[in-house]
Amino acid sequence: MSVLMANTRRDVEVHRYPILIYALVPLAALVLQAWLPRVLGRYMWFDLPLVITVYFALGRRSPVQGMLLGGALGLFQDALTHNAIGIFGIAKTIAGFIAASAGIRIDVENHTIRLILNFLLSLLCSAIYLFIYRILLDMSLEWNWWTELFKAVGNSIVALILFPQLDRTQIQD
Amino acid sequence: MNPWLARVVTMEPFFIRYRNLLVLLVMLVAQIVGLAVQVRRTSAGAVSLDPQDGPGVRLIRLWANALVTPSERLIHSSKLGAGNLWQGYIDLRHVRDQNQDLQKTIDRLRLEQAALLEDARQGQRLQGLMAFQEKYIYKTVAAQAIGSSGTDQSRVFYLDKGKDAGLERDMAVITPDGIVGKVRDVFPHSAQVLAINDQSSGAGVILETTRVRGILRGNAAGQPQIVGILADQRIQPGEKVLTAGGDEIFPRGLPVGVVEKVMRDPERDSFIDVIVKPAAHLDRLDEVLVITATEPRFSLEQQKDLDTSEALKGAEVAAEAAEKKKASEIMAERLPGLKDPNAAAAPAATPDNPTPVVPTVNPMPHPPPPLHADRYSPGSATQVTPETTSPQIPSATVPQGSTRTVPHASTQDHGAGSRETGNRETGARETGARQTGGPGTSGSGTSKLGAPARSTANPLTPRPASKPKPKTDTAPQRNP
Repeated sequence: MSVLMANTRRDVEVHRYPILIYALVPLAALVLQAWLPRVLGRYMWFDLPLVITVYFALGRRSPVQGMLLGGALGLFQDALTHNAIGIFGIAKTIAGFIAASAGIRIDVENHTIRLILNFLLSLLCSAIYLFIYRILLDMSLEWNWWTELFKAVGNSIVALILFPQLDRTQIQD
Repeated sequence: MNPWLARVVTMEPFFIRYRNLLVLLVMLVAQIVGLAVQVRRTSAGAVSLDPQDGPGVRLIRLWANALVTPSERLIHSSKLGAGNLWQGYIDLRHVRDQNQDLQKTIDRLRLEQAALLEDARQGQRLQGLMAFQEKYIYKTVAAQAIGSSGTDQSRVFYLDKGKDAGLERDMAVITPDGIVGKVRDVFPHSAQVLAINDQSSGAGVILETTRVRGILRGNAAGQPQIVGILADQRIQPGEKVLTAGGDEIFPRGLPVGVVEKVMRDPERDSFIDVIVKPAAHLDRLDEVLVITATEPRFSLEQQKDLDTSEALKGAEVAAEAAEKKKASEIMAERLPGLKDPNAAAAPAATPDNPTPVVPTVNPMPHPPPPLHADRYSPGSATQVTPETTSPQIPSATVPQGSTRTVPHASTQDHGAGSRETGNRETGARETGARQTGGPGTSGSGTSKLGAPARSTANPLTPRPASKPKPKTDTAPQRNP
């Protein structure tokens, strides 16, 4: 269990990145999320803005920054749909908060933890989306949990590949 | 210490301690308020999104569009997909070890070949599209699909044409294979299209063989389905589905797809859901056509055909009228009592004019001339001034059995006739709207968005000539 807890100095340090990475990576996530369905069709089983939100929230270990990044990405994602603006925003705000809060307490360098965290946060985002749509807005929406499960698995796999690549861009002390 | 200052000092640790939670709370509340502003409750009680975005929401969408569209356009125009890039990279890395120069040549040729192949494919697609566009009766604008929403919950995609190309909201988007969706939002240089397999879309459709009408919308799996139709054994997989033309978006008769599966409606026993396999490849859209105007445009040849058809029809009507006239003349010869002594003799047929000219006057016999003509006598109605409206007609001045003429009768009759004609036309329009309107059972002549109704009649079908309304200004009477 001690392996999972952030108890060493290295584990609790805040990751820093070049400013270009902060600007370009979320933008690239948004663009790819909008463009890749044209290539992959119905097999677009991942949510790149969520993966990026989780990564920066875990690395920065700041709930406020995680929330702001998640909220901004979610709002832009909402703006690209025809639905009300704020549904993805709320879901990703909460995801950013939880990821950053978890980043303070656990060892986020561990691949298994990253995998599980992405999987759980994906399902949580889907549940929040469904809650807002059906309960909060009282609007009808057909839902398929299998698709969301596939998406959660896809997010975990993408995170497993993407996180080490992004780790290379960290500013080393 | 000032009590207010003391209170602030004691609250400071509270804000610092719960800063994260407070920020979370503020962000959530702000977004929930934003959501509440966008969603409205209709008179029917259902909560729905406002179809027209507010200025603030539209601004956010415009920003997002401006942020994402240029990159998508760049990716699309460079034609370097992520997959091709990755494969090209791996190939290059392997062959560089063997023979760098040779491999470079091969790679260049491969890339050129792939580009040429892609160009050729695109050329073929565009050729088909242009051929369809030329043949198609409505005015269309060709556009390229450049991006999507990126989520399953919103099946929208973006076109590289916008307001500058004449695109507007609620225009139909089609391919030569079938319908695709409708323009939902228009930006200066791009447009957002709501696909027919989205859950919030709706299109009036009709099954080709069984003529069952219904509403097409998407389901959770992204398949278009016809909902809200009564169970019908005749509906079988493989039946073609066409647009019904009553939704004010899609013209009538466009292919939608074929019936894939018929399922029982889980919520209503006697209803079924018909899953439709779309004719257009909704997952892989490249070039599409946007119908920008629904006024039919005919080529010279088509126009000539239409004129010929109209002329032939006119000749048929004239021949029919002449036939009827002959029959009435024969009847008049056999029954001389029916002849009008006051009627002028019809001119005989001449070598120049083989068909005798038929007088256009009413064959009804005229009443005998009055002994003492006054302003109420027949034929003097046109001389009556407006001051003499509604006169009291003395019964003694009306000859027995003669026509009772009402002052301003012709004017009133014209008015009534025009009103009736107007009503008749309105009725026809309403009937037409009912016939063509409403996907399936709604029968509404207006669109669901409340847009002014556009004509959905087949533009190739000529309008039937309106029948002349029989005059009712004189009472039927016998010939003395």
